[in-house]
Amino acid sequence: MTLGPILFAAPGALWALLALPALYWLMRATPPAPRREAFPPARLLEGVRTDDQTRERAPLWLVLFRALAAALLILAFARPSLAPNAAQDGQGGRTLIVIDDGWTSAPFWSDVRSTALAEINRAERTGAPVSLLLTAPSLRPRDPGEALTAADAKAVLARLEPQPWRPNRAQARDRLGQTSDQFSRILWLTDGLNDEGASAFAEALAARGPVSARAPPRTARAIVAGAVTSEGVVVELRRASSGANGGAIAAETAEGRSLGAAEFSFDGAATTATATVSLPPEIAARAARVRIVGEESAGAVRLLPAGASRPFVGLIDPGGASQPLLSDLFYADRALQPYASLQRGAVSALLDARVQAMILPDAGRIAPTDRAALTRWIENGGLLIRFAGPRLANDSDDLLPVRLRPGARSLGGALAWETPLSIAPFPVDSPFAGIAPPQDVTVRRQVLAEPASLEEARVWASLADNSPLVTARARGRGLIVLYHVGGGPDWSDLPLSGAFVEMLRRSLAFAARGEGAGDREIVGGPYIADRLLDGFGALAPAPPEMAPIAPETFALALPSPQTPPGLYERAGVSAAIDAGRAEDALAPLVLPNAIARGALGDATERPMAGWLFGASGLMLALDLLVALALFGRLPRLARAGAGVLLGLALMSPRDAYAQSAQDPTQIVRLAYVRTGDARVDRTSAAGLEALRQILIERTSVEPGPSVGVDLGRDDLSVYPFVYWPAAGAPQRLSDAALANVDRYLAIGGLLLVDTRNAGQTGNRPAATMLSGVDVPPLEPVTADHVTARAFYLLRSFPGRTQATQLWAESASAAESRDGVASIFIGDGDWAAAWAGELEGGARQRELALRFGVNMVMVALTGNYKADQVHVPALLERLGRERQ
Amino acid sequence: MSEAARLDALALAGDLPGVLLDAKRLAAMAPGVHGRRRSGQGEAFWQYRDHRPEDGARLVDWRRSARGDRYYVREREREAAQTAWLWLDANPGFDWTSDARRPTKLRRARTLALALAILLARGGERVGVLGGQSRSGARAVDRLAGDLLAAPSDAAPTAQSCVLFFSDFYAPLESWRARLARCAEVGATGALVMTADPAEDDFPYQGRTLFEAPGVRGGVLIGRAEAARTEYARRLLAHRNAIRALGAEHRFPALLHRTDHSAAPTLSMLIALVTERGP
Repeated sequence: MTLGPILFAAPGALWALLALPALYWLMRATPPAPRREAFPPARLLEGVRTDDQTRERAPLWLVLFRALAAALLILAFARPSLAPNAAQDGQGGRTLIVIDDGWTSAPFWSDVRSTALAEINRAERTGAPVSLLLTAPSLRPRDPGEALTAADAKAVLARLEPQPWRPNRAQARDRLGQTSDQFSRILWLTDGLNDEGASAFAEALAARGPVSARAPPRTARAIVAGAVTSEGVVVELRRASSGANGGAIAAETAEGRSLGAAEFSFDGAATTATATVSLPPEIAARAARVRIVGEESAGAVRLLPAGASRPFVGLIDPGGASQPLLSDLFYADRALQPYASLQRGAVSALLDARVQAMILPDAGRIAPTDRAALTRWIENGGLLIRFAGPRLANDSDDLLPVRLRPGARSLGGALAWETPLSIAPFPVDSPFAGIAPPQDVTVRRQVLAEPASLEEARVWASLADNSPLVTARARGRGLIVLYHVGGGPDWSDLPLSGAFVEMLRRSLAFAARGEGAGDREIVGGPYIADRLLDGFGALAPAPPEMAPIAPETFALALPSPQTPPGLYERAGVSAAIDAGRAEDALAPLVLPNAIARGALGDATERPMAGWLFGASGLMLALDLLVALALFGRLPRLARAGAGVLLGLALMSPRDAYAQSAQDPTQIVRLAYVRTGDARVDRTSAAGLEALRQILIERTSVEPGPSVGVDLGRDDLSVYPFVYWPAAGAPQRLSDAALANVDRYLAIGGLLLVDTRNAGQTGNRPAATMLSGVDVPPLEPVTADHVTARAFYLLRSFPGRTQATQLWAESASAAESRDGVASIFIGDGDWAAAWAGELEGGARQRELALRFGVNMVMVALTGNYKADQVHVPALLERLGRERQ
Repeated sequence: MSEAARLDALALAGDLPGVLLDAKRLAAMAPGVHGRRRSGQGEAFWQYRDHRPEDGARLVDWRRSARGDRYYVREREREAAQTAWLWLDANPGFDWTSDARRPTKLRRARTLALALAILLARGGERVGVLGGQSRSGARAVDRLAGDLLAAPSDAAPTAQSCVLFFSDFYAPLESWRARLARCAEVGATGALVMTADPAEDDFPYQGRTLFEAPGVRGGVLIGRAEAARTEYARRLLAHRNAIRALGAEHRFPALLHRTDHSAAPTLSMLIALVTERGP
């Protein structure tokens, strides 16, 4: 039923309007419920009459307001819609709807859809069948002769999406030719752009019946070229003269984060414009695509494939590295920054972040708990790149491509025959083939593989003497790559060279992919679709049935159903087919005079039911408030609301920090580990207190009171010296304590582990105490060690007993800390000696205290006194010169 | 005692320390009562007066008289302890306040009653809850506080005692006439403390309102409460006057106390009423 420009889909509901007067009478008759008040002297009010009874009725304006709300609700149920020319086109007959469903229609697709829907609704009212003709090519084209019911046509329309290529009207004309039907109405929803077959197609349409074309007011625009240059991202835009004048472009990463934007405008009647998103090179390298802001179509997106395949790489952070230029990761990080998305963290965090590859420097450790997860990740296609170093040389594990011989091979040291070696040309079957071997790079140290294990691995690079430099071996579906040198510059110059960047980059081409990395070819093969554009310019994973595209076809491919635009990959290199082509000309559509033109979206029906439902709902809500106000409940309600808001405001989190009164960073403090054995802890405290007094008396070190620390909980980093005595029954450390101790050693703290069993044999408490700790290689401390020179000159280190053993981290292992040992392990029970519990006399206690003073000096000054070791030689030389 | 009543009493007892504290604070502010302010039987020294011939030699205070040429008699303050009975209304309408920030009428009545009891006990009088036991001494007040939780009884007071009724007196006049007549029969006198909430005086209600007395089923519907205000004020005044007349008839003067006013003036008046009460 139509009523002027309004069309009712369910006019039966309008009968309910007759009930409105009844509603009016009912509401006027029933007064609002009274307010209830507790009032003890209510008895006194009995029989009181107030003659003002009219106020008990609902006020007239409220009744009218409610009646209006009810009327709107009834009207909404009648499902009205605004269709200005619904009345005039009431005639029936077959209808053909022609839709240009290329990306050129995507920016105004909702208009296209609603116009088509209005036409189908019109046909539904007259009971006419509908045919659809889609002009963009498709793998399964629709037959325009097929007559659809209105419901079917609506279902087809609901699923219809623009294609990421342009309409081909010559093909569409051929398809129209398959049917010889005549139509009483033809509606052409065009994209407003011309193509070769357009005029012929228009004539063919006009021959089939009266055609009315609907063109958009503003036609689509396209980015036809885009490149990453040193200034940033440069693009070329094109429009038809009917396209909008200006706008903005934005460069985005592969994950869709915006990197930058720039404005563009077409001067006068120009159809071409350029725009540059200015970005620094390292940021521009991350741009994966650029698009016209606010124009959603495949042509308004330009893919920049160089940046599109940035692998997500995890750097396993050993933590605590205070010297960035000496850290292995620094060089890998800088080398990969432009080519990969990097994240630092612990193994478990990186696994959670789903990295595609991991780089494990020598200093990094794989916690026992992470090992299984890491192995599983590799076997599922992960790529692990490792660097050698002192730790790996001494303690190799099984996550390696080859078995390593213990110890590192030193080339060109003071005592070595061999000179530093250069890198041999890369083998042809290596992924590094083609990189020029850097001439200025020498390798001073390397780890060596057991020759037998080399047969199972692949050697990607080797030194001039044929010893392997980079080896790789598949593990499950994943790959482990080992650089036999350190990731930092101390073992070789490789990390400083440009070749290192290229080598790492090519290693990363094996980063995790679904099909696994181990057996990947390095070159050749067809282009395989990775992610494809849809008509709106969004990237979606390619359907599995997409056929690979041969390289020779790929270069010339135009966007079509067989070669859809999107990202393709070939041997780790990605390339793109773009929807907007440089050779595409965008020109306005020219139509023969026989075709009536209209603007898209003109004749659409606008359903009004939603608005009416909304309005009546709003009015009913308002009525509720009015009713509450009439009851006098509103102020209380408002107070409660304000209270709730205030409560929410107060609940907003606020950080509170309290500076501990005893800030351990204010003053040097000696620390001992609380073992849980009360006797041992008392002795430790007493010993350190005695040592503290001696330090204050004799040196310029004036420590504060000693502190007992809990390895599992306390932050050790504020204590330069931690004394760790063995408990009566030593226990294994918890995981948290292990991590804490490792971190303390890594940041350069000094840990004195005292097994307290000098002179005894049999039990080895250190093995239990340190099980799981990453103990570096040790060497015995002799009279030449800096510990024997740091303050007093000592020849032995007596503790509770005269004869003790003392081991320290070997100078070579402590290379990164300038040779200062971070861990000392001995059996002297020194705390007991300092506290006065000892077998010898006062002289022995004095020597023990001197050792303690020296330990604290080493902890505070490092190898400052190391050159004292050379004093005898210097004196001797001086004496000789004098003679 | 039923379970519900026991729970009620426990809840009240939880509130008692607060009431007791209020009462002590109030009592501290009140002017002290000190004995009977006349000579008579008692322990405390009252005054020396000249010896009169009819006193005889036994009454001479020799210690004082030795210091002068005249004979003195040491008089003691009269301490004829009298008994004050307290009666607090237990009607649910009495335990009501129009504004949660103000104490209920019952709480204010308890505070007044306890403060009065503290002062009277200090003055050596005996205090008790009507129908219960009367006590004297320092611990009397704490015990009394416990007794206040029990339901009030309509037992007859002891002869010549003083009875203080704390209520809003909204119960029908006849029930009060009967109660006061019973007291008057044994010669008891006292006071009626008409405790009222400000809302009961001012009637600040508007619009269509259903007034329900707490604890009473059904209510009174007033079409426009603001229009009923003058009529209500007239009826309230008439009712209060009737109560006052009834009290005067039985030698029970009525005091009006509003819970939004300070309790101190009412307390002073009560003390004056009790202590100056003729024998």
